Amino acid sequence: MDTEAQAIAAVRWDNNKLAMLLFLLSEGTFFAFLIIAYVYYHAISNTGVEAAKVLDPLKAGIYTVFLLSSSFTVWFAEKGLRRGNQKAFRSWLLVTLILGAVFLVGQGREYLHLYGEGVTVSGNIFGTSFFTLTGFHGFHVLLGLIALAVIFVLALKGDFLERHSSAVETVALYWHFVDWIWVVIFSVIYLWAVF
Amino acid sequence: MFKNSVFTPASPQALSITHLTWIVGIIAMAILLLIMVLVLYAAFKFRRRPSGFEPRQVFGNSRLEKTWTIGALVVVFFLFIVTLRTMHSSDRTPAPGEKPNLVVIAHQWWWEAQYPQSGVLTANEIHIPIGKPWLVLLKSADVIHDWWVPDLGRKIDAIPGHPNHFWIQADKPGTYLGTCAEYCGAGHAWMRIRVIAQPEAEFKAWEQQQLEIPPKPTSGDAAAGSKLFDHLTCVGCHTVAGTPAKSDIGPDLTHVASRETLAAGRLINTPENLGKWLSDPQEYKPGAHMPNFDFTKEQVQDLVAYLETLK
Amino acid sequence: MSDIPFPGTGEALPLPVPQEQMAGLLGWLSSVDHKRIGIMYLLTGLVFFGAGGIEALLMRIQLARPVSSFLSPQTFDQVFTMHGTTMIFFVAMPVLTGLANYLIPLMIGASDVAFPRLNSLSLWLLICGGLLLYFSFIAGGAPAAGWFNYAPLSEKPYSSTVGVDYYSLGLLIAGIGSVVAAINLIVTIIKYRAPGLTVRRLPLFVWMVLVTQFLIILALPALNASLVMLLIDRRLNAHFFQPVTGGSAILWQHYFWAFGHPEVYIVILPAFGMISEVIPVFSRKPIFGYEYVAASTVAIGVLSFLVWAHHMFAVGLGHSIDTMFAISSLLIAVPTGVKIFNWIATMWNGAIRFTTAMLFATSFLIVFTIGGLSGVSLAVFPVDWQVTDTYYLVAHLHYVLFGGTVFGVFAGIYYWFPKMTGRMLSEKIGKWHFWTMLIGFNMTFFVMHFLGLMGMTRRVYTYPNLPDWGLLNMISTIGAVIMGISSLLFIWNVWVSRRSGELAGDNPWEAWSLEWATTSPPPVHNFDRIPPIRSRRPLYDLEHPDHPDWKNGH
Repeated sequence: MDTEAQAIAAVRWDNNKLAMLLFLLSEGTFFAFLIIAYVYYHAISNTGVEAAKVLDPLKAGIYTVFLLSSSFTVWFAEKGLRRGNQKAFRSWLLVTLILGAVFLVGQGREYLHLYGEGVTVSGNIFGTSFFTLTGFHGFHVLLGLIALAVIFVLALKGDFLERHSSAVETVALYWHFVDWIWVVIFSVIYLWAVF
Repeated sequence: MFKNSVFTPASPQALSITHLTWIVGIIAMAILLLIMVLVLYAAFKFRRRPSGFEPRQVFGNSRLEKTWTIGALVVVFFLFIVTLRTMHSSDRTPAPGEKPNLVVIAHQWWWEAQYPQSGVLTANEIHIPIGKPWLVLLKSADVIHDWWVPDLGRKIDAIPGHPNHFWIQADKPGTYLGTCAEYCGAGHAWMRIRVIAQPEAEFKAWEQQQLEIPPKPTSGDAAAGSKLFDHLTCVGCHTVAGTPAKSDIGPDLTHVASRETLAAGRLINTPENLGKWLSDPQEYKPGAHMPNFDFTKEQVQDLVAYLETLK
Repeated sequence: MSDIPFPGTGEALPLPVPQEQMAGLLGWLSSVDHKRIGIMYLLTGLVFFGAGGIEALLMRIQLARPVSSFLSPQTFDQVFTMHGTTMIFFVAMPVLTGLANYLIPLMIGASDVAFPRLNSLSLWLLICGGLLLYFSFIAGGAPAAGWFNYAPLSEKPYSSTVGVDYYSLGLLIAGIGSVVAAINLIVTIIKYRAPGLTVRRLPLFVWMVLVTQFLIILALPALNASLVMLLIDRRLNAHFFQPVTGGSAILWQHYFWAFGHPEVYIVILPAFGMISEVIPVFSRKPIFGYEYVAASTVAIGVLSFLVWAHHMFAVGLGHSIDTMFAISSLLIAVPTGVKIFNWIATMWNGAIRFTTAMLFATSFLIVFTIGGLSGVSLAVFPVDWQVTDTYYLVAHLHYVLFGGTVFGVFAGIYYWFPKMTGRMLSEKIGKWHFWTMLIGFNMTFFVMHFLGLMGMTRRVYTYPNLPDWGLLNMISTIGAVIMGISSLLFIWNVWVSRRSGELAGDNPWEAWSLEWATTSPPPVHNFDRIPPIRSRRPLYDLEHPDHPDWKNGH
C-alpha cells in the first residue's frame, strides 16, 4: 500500500472516529427516547391540534434547508482538505458555521414566537415535549458549532496542513449526525402536525 | 405461618395461582437440587490430588450443549403453557362495557370504596357478598398504589390516569387481610386492606346500615363533639353524611364506628384507640396527611363520643 | 508460582501517552494510567459499599421487630432509596468498571486504554455523581421515592425536597461517565489487541465486558432521557409524568425499565466473566464450551432489551403484552441458565483447588441459580401477580445481585489482587470471610422468600405483628449483621495483605491469560514483551510446548 492509501486507511476508522460513532449511537438512542415521548403524547392527547395551530412548517422547513446544506458544505470542506486545497477547506468550513448559526437563530426566533403565543414548556404536554425535543437538538447543534469553530480557528492557524485529519473527520461525523437526526425530528414534529 | 398468604387461597382466582405456584415451585426445587448435587459432587470428587496431575483438557461437547439447551427450552415452554392457562383462570378480561360492582379509589394512605349499584360509600373496610365474582374498577387519586389481598387473588396497580379492572370473589365468609403493594410515600406501610365477605343476607344488611344517615346527637359529650367536628377543620378533609363535611382528602367517616380498624388497619377500632389517634395521628402513622391538632383532653373526649355514634 | 521465560516477539508496543508516574496522592488523583484509575474505581466502590451497607443495617435494625419506631418512615424511605441507588450505581458499576479498566488492557496485551484522559474523566464523573447524590442528605433530604423513582410520587407535589433533583443530577453525571468509559473500552478491545489475539481467542472476561459496554451505550440513554424529562417536570413545571396535566406515569416505568433491565445484565455479565476466568484456572481445565458461553452472552445482550416490562406485570398493561414479555423473559433464562452447566462441566474431572476465589466462584453457582430460578418463577406472571413488590422479590434481586455480582466480584478480587498489588490476600482470613459471608447472606435473604409468600410487601418501614413475621425478620437481621462482620473481615484482609501478604510473583495461580505474563504489579507500560498468541491460552501453550492448545485445534 502506498503512503497515501495507508494514511487514508489509518484514518478511516481510527480510534477517534470509532469512538465518535459509538457516541453517536448513544446520542441517537437518547434522541429516540425523546422522539418516542413526543410521538406518544401526540397520539394520546390533543397535542396534534395544538401543533397544527402554532407551528409553521414552512418557516421551519427553510431553516431546515440551511441546516441540511451545512452537511454538504462540511463535506466539501473535507474534500478540499483531501485535495490539499487549504482555501477551499477553510472557506467551506466558514460557510458551514454560518449555515448552522442561521439555523439556530431561526430556532430561537421560533421559540420567541411560540412564547408570545403562550406555548411554554410548562404550559401543556405539547409545549413540554416540543421544547424538550427541539431544545436538546438545538443544544447539540450549538455544541457542534463550537467544535466546528475550534476546528476553523485551528485551520486558520495552519494546524491542518496534512491531507487527512482525524479531528476534522470526527467533528464532521458529529455534524452530519446532528443534521440528519433533525430530518427525523422535523418530520415527526412539523410534518406530522400538518398531515 | 401462612395465614392470609399465597398458600391460603379463598377464591377460584387465587386457587389457580396457588396451583401454578406449586407447579413452578416444584420444578424450581428440582432444578436447584440437580444443580446443588452436581456442584457439590464435583467439588468433592474432583479435588486435586497431591500427585498434582493435570486433568484431561476437555474443550467442550456440542452434543451435551445442545442437549441441555433443548432441555432448558422444554422446561421453559412448559412453564409458558401453564402461564397462559392460569392467566385466563385467575384474571378474566372483562367484556367491553361490563360494569363494575365496586369502585376502589386509592389515596395516600387509605382506600375509598364506592358501590355503584347500591350507592354505598365507605373507606378501608370493604364488604362483599360471598360466592359471586365481582368486577372492581381500581383508580388512584394521587400516586401509584397497588391492591393486594393474597387470599383472594392477584395484585394490581392503582395508577392515576390508567384505571384497572380486577375480579374479587370469596368462597367462604371471613375477613381477608391485604395491603397496598406499591410504595406510595410515608404512609405506605399502614395502608392496609380489610375485605369482609359475608353471606348475601348479612351483606345486604350491612349495605342498608351503610346507607343510613346517622342522626345528630343532641346531648352530652357527643353533641359537643358533633359541634366541634362541624366547626373545626375536620370538614375540610372528611365526609359525614348529614353534616357539612363533604371532602375526600381523608376517609369517609359516616359509619366509622362500625369498622373493625382505624387508619387503614393501623389500630383496632376502640374508643380508647380512637382517642389515642385523635390526640396525635403522627405518632401512629407518621407522615399521614392528618396533622396533630393539639386537641385538649376534653376535645378528644367529646370527639370520640361523637364519632362513636357514627355506627 | 512460576515465572515463565518466553521467547516473545520482543517488540515493545506503542504507548498512547507518555508514561511517567507521579508519586504521592496527587500522582494518583491525576493519573491517566488505567491501572491506577481501575484501583481508584475499586476504592470508590468500596467506600460506597460501606455507605450502602450501613443503610442496609439501619433498615434491618428497624425491621427486626414488628411495629418498630427506631426509624421514622420518612427516614426509612430515604434510607431504602439511597441503599438501592448506591449499591447499583456507586458500588456495582464502579467496581465492575474498575476491574474492567484494570484488566482489559492487560488481558489483550495493550499498554493502556484507547483514551487514557477520557478514562480519568469517567472516573471523576462517577465520583462527582456519587458525591452529589449524597450531598442531598444535608441539602434538605435524600431522595425517598425508591431507587426506580416512580412517577408521580417522584414529582414535586409528592417529593417536595430536592432529594429527587440530586438523584437525577447525580445519576446523569455518573451515567455520562459510564457511557464514556464504555466507548473507551470498546475502542480499546477492537483496536489494541496484541498480534494473534483474534476475537475468538479473547478471554471470556473480555467478551463479557465487550457485550456489557454495548449494553451500556444503548441502555444509559434511556435513563438519561428519563432523568432529563423528570428534571424538566420538577424544575420547569412541565408535564411529562404528571397524569393530572396530561402526562403519563406509565411512560416513566417503560423508560426506566428500558434502562433498568439491561442495567441488571450490565451488572451481572462482568461477574459471569470473572467466574469464567476463575473456575477454569482452579479446576486446571479450559472453560467447557467457550463458543457457547460467548454466544450465549451475545444472546443475553440482545434479549436484555426485550424483557423490560416484566417489571410491570402488575401495572395492568393487558394480557397480550404480559404474554409477550413472559415469552422473552422465559427465553432469556435459557442462555443464562446453560452457562451454569458450562461452569460445572469445567469443574468436572478437573483437579480443583479451593482457594478463597474458587470458594466464592463455586458457591456463586448455587446462589446465583437460586436467584435465577426465582426469576423464572417471576416470568410466570400469574405468580408474579402474587409475589411482585413483596419480600419474595427482594430475595430474588439480592440472590442475583449479591449472590451473583458480589460473590463474582469477591472471586475476582481474590484472584486478581495478587496481580494488582504483588501480594496474595490471606487465605486464612479469606476462608473466614467466605464462610461468614455465605452463612450471613443466606440467613438474611433466604427467609425473605417466605416473608413475601406470607404477604409482606417491600419498602415498608414496619409491619404488623402477624404470626412469624417478627421471627423471620429477626433471623434476617441477624444474618445482615453477620454479613457486616464478614465485610469487615474482607476489608481487614485487604488492609493487612497490602502490607504483609505473601509475595505473589508473576503468575501465582499458574493461570493462562496475558495478564499473568508480566510482573505483579505490572510496570507502567504493562508489558516488556508479549508471548506469541496462537490460542486462547498463550501461557498454557508456553508451559506445554509438546501439546499446546493450538495443536488441539483450539
